Amino acid sequence: MTTTLTLTTRSIPTGAVLTVAGDLDHDSAGQLRAAVDAIVLRPGDLLTVDLTDLAYCDSTGITALIAARNHTHTHGADIALTAVPSTTLRILGMLGLDQLFPIHPASEADA
Amino acid sequence: MMCETTDGGPEQDIGADSTDAGGGGEDANEAELAQFSALLEDSAEDLYEHAPCGYLSTLMDGRIAKINTTLVDWLGYTRAQLLGRKRFADLLTMGGKLYHETHFAPLLAMQGQVSGIALELKAADGSRLPVLVTSQVKTGSDGQPMLIRTTVVDARDRRAYENELLRARRHAEQVGAQAEQARAEAEHARQAAEIEHARLRQVMAILQSSLLPPELPRVPGMEAAAYYHTASADQLGGDFYDLFALGQGQWGFFLGDVCGKGPQAAAITSLTRYTLRAAFQHASDPVAALDTLNTALHDRYSGADPRYCTAIAGTLSPHGGTLRVTVASGGHPPALLLRGDGAAEYLPTPGGLLVGIMPHPHFTTATTVLNPGDTMLLYTDGLTEARTADGPRYSEDHLHAFAQTLAPAGAQQTISVLTGLLESFGNGLDDDTALLALGNPAAHTDPESA
Repeated sequence: MTTTLTLTTRSIPTGAVLTVAGDLDHDSAGQLRAAVDAIVLRPGDLLTVDLTDLAYCDSTGITALIAARNHTHTHGADIALTAVPSTTLRILGMLGLDQLFPIHPASEADA
Repeated sequence: MMCETTDGGPEQDIGADSTDAGGGGEDANEAELAQFSALLEDSAEDLYEHAPCGYLSTLMDGRIAKINTTLVDWLGYTRAQLLGRKRFADLLTMGGKLYHETHFAPLLAMQGQVSGIALELKAADGSRLPVLVTSQVKTGSDGQPMLIRTTVVDARDRRAYENELLRARRHAEQVGAQAEQARAEAEHARQAAEIEHARLRQVMAILQSSLLPPELPRVPGMEAAAYYHTASADQLGGDFYDLFALGQGQWGFFLGDVCGKGPQAAAITSLTRYTLRAAFQHASDPVAALDTLNTALHDRYSGADPRYCTAIAGTLSPHGGTLRVTVASGGHPPALLLRGDGAAEYLPTPGGLLVGIMPHPHFTTATTVLNPGDTMLLYTDGLTEARTADGPRYSEDHLHAFAQTLAPAGAQQTISVLTGLLESFGNGLDDDTALLALGNPAAHTDPESA
């Protein structure tokens, strides 16, 4: 029922790509926060969060994404979500967060 | 002197026997017997004086007439201090004297003999000597009692042994008592912990209940019902709702969900509930109320530890036989309408942002009218995100389908049926869940057909 959360980070010339796979919930949200804190961002960088394999995201997971957004903005960088699964996309829409996060289709993660 | 004679007798007999045996004419035997005899007491007098026990002869009035050296030595008196001057009872401790007078002497007078009585002698230096005493009355040829013969056996070793036993028993009792005390202390600590735990639960239950209206007010021309489920008895929930009068027949309501669980979430739940309530009293406008709440949350919680909530707030105004509804949503799932004609539909409020995230958010409003038989349901995502028994989570689509089969239904009926649905999720209901139903009662229908 519960899958573990897997996080991988890779640097690209314009910033970093963080891949989030598995369940992002009350038990695992802290891992995402720690991973985001560990990413070095320069002003103007873009942190792309790839959600292709995100299985489930609850309200604490959403909070961790908002904290990630606050973190990038503090460093003068920006954040974008890519390949957001439809259920999460619906939640983001309901919460009005599609206004806060630039959301891109899957192919742009590879850019 | 009688004592001497009697006690000496056997010894003399043995001597006489050996002499007779020697008469057999065998020199070797005779020499052996002589040697044997030499090993024995050379005189009855010496045996009496230095026997391993004390001998004492007293007159019938108790005065000491004769005493052997062993006993004189034990007592530390001179013979002159004792003979004719002290009575046997004078040698005893106070308790011994009493016992002698009340038991020992009468028993002796009655039976002529008393044996093995444990007493304590008091020596000249005041020290005490535990002894076992046996006495016998010597009668004359006329049967009259003449004197009392007494043997005194040193019982110090025996007393020491008894004391040792006593000490061992006391020690065992003490150890037992200590163990019992330790057990009692452990039990006490356990009870104290239990009481503390119960107290804590009580505090949490009180705090929890302070976050909810204890009972929904009775609203004329409207039916209201609510349900609240906490995922864990030990966890303070983050869901909230309220229904209250705004004056001039208008009513305000809200329902929401603070992100997170536990005390931090509960503190924000409290802040949220009272801020919304106060904001509504200031201006009967749901958007203004959510704006005020947003400012309160955003000012206090932002950055790495953002705190926010989703909320749906609104007003109800009676108009003719209908209720006019205005709702504003901040990131909250849409209200569900169960129409009197059997239809069910969401009241969309898209794009309303979570409350507390941005300095100047835009909240979305929607309006509708509740005709007689219509019911509006507000809920938190504990319902729409519950894990169903089959595996997939319950969803808004499931809820919509469920409402279509349920409608038409009054507020109380809607809550009752949904409570049953939530209970069917069992452990799958892993979040707090709040439900609030507000309905315009169907005209002239009896509740059973509703």
